[in-house]
Amino acid sequence: MVASKKHIPIVKKRTKRFMRHQSDRFKCLDSAWRKPKGIDNRVRRRFKGNLAMPSIGYGSNKKTRHMMPSGHKAFLVSNVKDVELLLMHNKTYAAEIASNVSSRKRVDIIRRAKQLGVKVTNAKAKVTTEV
Amino acid sequence: MSNVSADLIWEITRSQNAYLVKRKTGGAPQLSRDPLNLTNVHSRKFAGFVNDKALGIVPGEKGGIQVISKKPASANKPAAGLYTVTYGANKSTRKTYKAVANQVAKNSYRPDLRQAAVARASAIRRAQSLRIKPEPERKLRGAAARKAAAAKQ
Repeated sequence: MVASKKHIPIVKKRTKRFMRHQSDRFKCLDSAWRKPKGIDNRVRRRFKGNLAMPSIGYGSNKKTRHMMPSGHKAFLVSNVKDVELLLMHNKTYAAEIASNVSSRKRVDIIRRAKQLGVKVTNAKAKVTTEV
Repeated sequence: MSNVSADLIWEITRSQNAYLVKRKTGGAPQLSRDPLNLTNVHSRKFAGFVNDKALGIVPGEKGGIQVISKKPASANKPAAGLYTVTYGANKSTRKTYKAVANQVAKNSYRPDLRQAAVARASAIRRAQSLRIKPEPERKLRGAAARKAAAAKQ
């Protein structure tokens, strides 16, 4: 397994979720973000002490966007041929085995990834025998 | 030279072709399965099926590497238009890279691909070597570590 390319530190400007206005007051109101549209709405008008609204300023640095803490980006693979695509990218991408791949084929994928020095993010899923 | 320009083929096949692999996550990378693509990146420079001159490096059947290149003269006969050179497993890696670099760049075939060709040759040779480092044993953390330390004493 190869370490990722050197990169600037990954900074997440905000890790908390953005709550929908008044979702804390009504149990039927889901907290999934909806932009308030009302003419008098205090969240929309960004009054002090109110909920924060999502904005582009919270976005991650383009250089570290989509990066996992290891510094790799995840690349979904379903078979050995997909892993071989990553031969020249084992410092940028890590293989992530798709959820619908059987454990028999997972073993082949993991073996090939090891030969190519490709990191597999979910190498232990479905192949671990002892509990 | 073929009757269809490489630029036209690229414009037509750029958005979708049989080699292209797209993913929606991880920054939506676009890779290519083309055997004549040295980096597996979907781009005009590396697209082997588009360019008149292109290179591919694949593992040889008995170890070593095979360098495939396109003959610009037989663009209309794609099957016959490939030229293959094998560098065996017994040739030292440094000599292999030197030979690959010379083949790619010295006769000004595709000097822009020299670095990529050597890198790919190197990656394939490394993947073939049996000296794959075993994974370091995972260090125990937390309660499991304390338990192991207690058992040791």
